Amino acid sequence: MDKVAINLTVNGRNRQALVPPRMLLSDFIRHELELPGTHVGCEHGVCGSCNVLVDGKAVRSCLMFAVQTDGARIGTIEGMGADGSLHPIQEAFWEEHGLQCGFCTPGMLVAATELLAEKPDPSEEEIREAISGNLCRCTGYEFIIKAIRSAAQKLREGNGAAQTESA
Amino acid sequence: MNAHTPLQFGKKIGMGQAVTRTEDAQFITGAGRYTDDVKRDNALHAAVLRSPYAHAKFTIGDLDVARGMAGVHLVMTASDIEGHPGITCQAVQQQIDGTKHPVKDIPLLCADTVRHVGDAVAFVVAESIAQAQEAAEAIEVDYEMLDPAIDTEGALADDAPPVYEDRPNNIAFETEHGNSDKTAEIFANAPKVTELKLINNRLVCNYMEMRGCVAEWSDEEDRYTLTVGSQGVHGMRDAITPCLKVDKAQLRVITPDVGGGFGTKVFAYREYPLALLAAKALGRPVKWRCDRSEHFVADAHGRDNVVTMRMAMDENGRFLALDVDLIAAMGAYLHQFAPYIPTLGTTIATGVYDIPACRFHIRGVYTHTTPTDAYRGAGRPEAIYALERLVDQCARDMSMKPDEIRRLNAIPDSAFPYKTVFGRTYDTGEVTAHMDQCMKVADWDGFDTRAEESRKSGKLRGIGMSTYIEACAFAGSEPAKLELKDDGTVQLLIGTQSNGQGHKTAYAQFVAEALDLDMGSIEVRQGDTDELESGGGTGGSRSIPLGGVSVQRGSQALAEMIKEAAAEKLEASVGDLELSEGSVRIVGTDRKLTFADVAAATSETLKATGEFKQAEATYPNGTHICEVEVDEATGETQVVKYTIVDDFGATVNPILLAGQVHGGVVQSIGQCIMEETVYDDDGQLISASFMDYRMPRAEDIPDFHFETRNVPSTTNALGIKGAGEAGTIGATPCVMNAIVDAVYRSHGIEHVDMPVTPQSMWQLMSQAAKKAA
Repeated sequence: MDKVAINLTVNGRNRQALVPPRMLLSDFIRHELELPGTHVGCEHGVCGSCNVLVDGKAVRSCLMFAVQTDGARIGTIEGMGADGSLHPIQEAFWEEHGLQCGFCTPGMLVAATELLAEKPDPSEEEIREAISGNLCRCTGYEFIIKAIRSAAQKLREGNGAAQTESA
Repeated sequence: MNAHTPLQFGKKIGMGQAVTRTEDAQFITGAGRYTDDVKRDNALHAAVLRSPYAHAKFTIGDLDVARGMAGVHLVMTASDIEGHPGITCQAVQQQIDGTKHPVKDIPLLCADTVRHVGDAVAFVVAESIAQAQEAAEAIEVDYEMLDPAIDTEGALADDAPPVYEDRPNNIAFETEHGNSDKTAEIFANAPKVTELKLINNRLVCNYMEMRGCVAEWSDEEDRYTLTVGSQGVHGMRDAITPCLKVDKAQLRVITPDVGGGFGTKVFAYREYPLALLAAKALGRPVKWRCDRSEHFVADAHGRDNVVTMRMAMDENGRFLALDVDLIAAMGAYLHQFAPYIPTLGTTIATGVYDIPACRFHIRGVYTHTTPTDAYRGAGRPEAIYALERLVDQCARDMSMKPDEIRRLNAIPDSAFPYKTVFGRTYDTGEVTAHMDQCMKVADWDGFDTRAEESRKSGKLRGIGMSTYIEACAFAGSEPAKLELKDDGTVQLLIGTQSNGQGHKTAYAQFVAEALDLDMGSIEVRQGDTDELESGGGTGGSRSIPLGGVSVQRGSQALAEMIKEAAAEKLEASVGDLELSEGSVRIVGTDRKLTFADVAAATSETLKATGEFKQAEATYPNGTHICEVEVDEATGETQVVKYTIVDDFGATVNPILLAGQVHGGVVQSIGQCIMEETVYDDDGQLISASFMDYRMPRAEDIPDFHFETRNVPSTTNALGIKGAGEAGTIGATPCVMNAIVDAVYRSHGIEHVDMPVTPQSMWQLMSQAAKKAA
């Protein structure tokens, strides 16, 4: 099948590409855009490791085709933070030990970004629910939840000056 | 310094501090590099053709179609690699009759018989993964299906289909441990005997990063290079070289970032030697990556035991003897450490109790299922699960409270060091003290009020405890090599392998303390056989207790060397020098040399090796208490409160420690109420995706209260007891004891097996209600 031309914004940069219609967004991001921070954990849409932001919404990039993102704004982990500084959510994950092996982390950060954009002061229950689409085998989740609560506070207190295109 | 610098940089760091992790900067920015992120120009991609049947004879038909397909470079079957040995078991046991059992190796590719769904039939290499997969599907295989033996206990039956014709009743090995005669004698006269039979359900590891590898061959160097997620490059190399028929020097193994290991990534898997052989044959790098459903059938599984236990007691509930009969599923082959796993459980079979006699009988059984091997805890969670469930059953039979029977039978503080029936010596422990502390923190006495509250919303509440002990960080050593670099930084080489634990941070804490050096000036390197000739890898909670002490000693030796080298230059005596913030200074003056100055002033690079040899294991122990709510209407079980008081001897980094414990406990909660590995009668694994195999998610998990009550180990030089697996060991019986407590109170149910799914719980309650009516 012929390749399809797409035009999209990735982490604030305009990108143009010719992609096979069957190419998954996750493969496009990892292999064509060479942004390997988006991880593939199951390829059936259940683990959330491959979450990216598409027009501000957390999306499983293994369940979407690259061609569907024509005209969209994509945010990946590589685009989080600005000018070499960390985003408050990233900082909070670091401070609260919200990660161990780091494999699920990019997807978790994306889920947290979406949540905090919608709910600046989420309850613990809302945080749990928001990241329940993301599997983590290492941490037991408590410190991830703690990190998101801390990130929410940082953002509310205006420490979040370094907002990104993806957020 | 930019914002990607750990927050504590510039502060004095040492053991015991809650240092945030040096490795996190890369992981939170997407800069971690895992095996599948490793790119090679010109790389080809591989796919494995796997058996769709649990047990079948087969012949391979025409391969020309597959070989002729677009992009295909190689179609490899067993006949193409004849003479290459399979992956062999390294843990052969001595049996009751004194013999060593035979070993059924894992063939790199099956020749004429497949023995589990997912067993490997062919290896296909093409320009793309899709092309390799399509070619694999085009291979004609004529299967003659045979009856499989699937059920662990059922495989022992006389009429069960044999996995191997020469292994009657599918027995892979049979061993016995402890003092059998004495145990039999005590049981013959025991006033009270409590018996319990339990299933320890089979688990799928499910690290988030699936396995994969990049295989390369170099004509110039005349050797292979394998890039692979592992728990130690040296063990991986040594397990693979026999399959390649080369010596160790001809295989370099590199491990980049690893997305979780949990024991299961220790092992060599057939895809690695196959990819290496293909890379050599084709003269191009070959990349293979597992997909999630493949992981479910191709990576070693965990647990899968059927255990029958009896406890002999006197009239007061004092334990007199323990008898354990364990059937451990091995799966279709003897995996690398498999027979050792149930055997390891015997080392702590009597737990924290003073039990003078125990017999532990093990039968390893072949079944037509994926082989089993180490999974977080490896035999010790199974042993403690069985024992702690039995202890609660004993309490019910004796009309005693769970803490009461434990108090009566616990090894008294004064009896440490305590020698067990199995010849282990527990160095230190204060069992009733951590139990008391945990009961207090968990508000054990206030349970009835909380149960009353739960009842109002239709929930049955239960409370349970486990007082566990485990053996880990076994006798041995893990040398640490340190080097002062020209720029004044210090490099550490060590043969363990982080899979997420935070080794780089923990080790750097020791270096920073000994050398008074900024954490940012310390580089910790693991994962390359070219950089370090040997190493023990990560497993058995050994990295920090063994590696940490070696790092500390090596750092102290390097500190002395730096002082000696500086003394000459500064014309001062070593005794007058101190290390401070990356410099050597004459005490009380401003005369100093930076570490970089010292490095420049010495003709030879300053290198030190620290090696701590530990003669015995360490024995972490503790108490877990949890509360569950069972929804009477739906059967759904939720863990609602969880308290842990652990004795880890000494704490290196409380944040990392808590992370290890939380993660371990959650894996156990998964085993108790969710994770169900289901084979149907034909041996199809019908729970082979995340949609069928329920993993613990954030909404399933309570917050934890975790604290330590440390009693330093006397076998470890820093008093540390290993901590990587303890969470898993303490939690499984704790959660299940709470669940049994809930339904025993309401329905009189005593027998509950894992996993307690809503369906199984609802059935249990319905049956009990019918019986009562």
